[in-house]
Amino acid sequence: MPETIEIQLKKGVLGLCVLALLKRGDSYAYEIASRLSDAIDMGEGTIYPLMRRMQSDGLVETYLVESSAGPSRKYYRLSEAGREALAVQTADWKTFTDAVDAVLNEAPLTPVPENTTGDVQ
Amino acid sequence: MTRADFLARLKRGLVGLPTSTAADILNDYEAHFDDGKAAGRSEAEVADALGDPDRLARELKAEAGVKRWTQEQTPSAAAGAVFAVLGLGAIDIIILLPILMGVIGTLFGCFVAVIALFGSGLGVMVAGPFAGFPGGGLAAFFIGLGLMACAVTVGALLSIATILLVNGLIWFARLHYRLLKPALEPHAVNSTSGDPA
Repeated sequence: MPETIEIQLKKGVLGLCVLALLKRGDSYAYEIASRLSDAIDMGEGTIYPLMRRMQSDGLVETYLVESSAGPSRKYYRLSEAGREALAVQTADWKTFTDAVDAVLNEAPLTPVPENTTGDVQ
Repeated sequence: MTRADFLARLKRGLVGLPTSTAADILNDYEAHFDDGKAAGRSEAEVADALGDPDRLARELKAEAGVKRWTQEQTPSAAAGAVFAVLGLGAIDIIILLPILMGVIGTLFGCFVAVIALFGSGLGVMVAGPFAGFPGGGLAAFFIGLGLMACAVTVGALLSIATILLVNGLIWFARLHYRLLKPALEPHAVNSTSGDPA
């Protein structure tokens, strides 16, 4: 099944978006999933394998917060490695999008220079 | 799909994981349903937005397998990681499997040879001095010791090669899984025809 470029793009930036969300403040999976599924249309279940991967890669840490009603809730926060990964990936993303924007917005190509050797048919 | 259906299918898909890991994962999804309910969504809506539980289970299993492999580099962890990653369907089984089987077979053969070498070294070292080994008892002792040292060296190199091989396979699979298999799917796909992959 061929993928649209849109899905490819979303997939590539999902991890970056999670890191950026967590930089603004610690959060729990439902909140992350619902915010990202609104922003970039994604299956909410995807967040759980991703969070586990990011946890085992040491980018995020979890802690439990007691709740007055119901069971305690698992929160995620950025680790030091997560902050570094966010900085690197953000820089990569900017470089990439700037390059794409430059190509997309470029003025029409300058006309091909006249062929000076006179070798025209 | 109801909450109970979703969790049951997920749980079935997670068979083979340590029970504590599986329970942890199921807790995550139960909390998700609770939060969804608190936000005023129906069970069916939440289940639909979550996606295909079988597929999520395969992904979660692969993550858990890889994590265990990074923590303990044992043969069983290696086998677990390799099979979980293969289960993703990220690797073209038809093309890769024969190659993989060949490589694994060769490695296994080398390991057996190393063990045999070690055993014969031990035999020469222990039995040689008493069995009239040509060159005398001391020579037999040192030849046996040398053979065992060779076996240990080759065995260590083989272990390193195996670890690199498994890591390479995981890297390859993760790369291709991210690229080829949509981790994100439009919601419509889930509600219409099921898993398109």
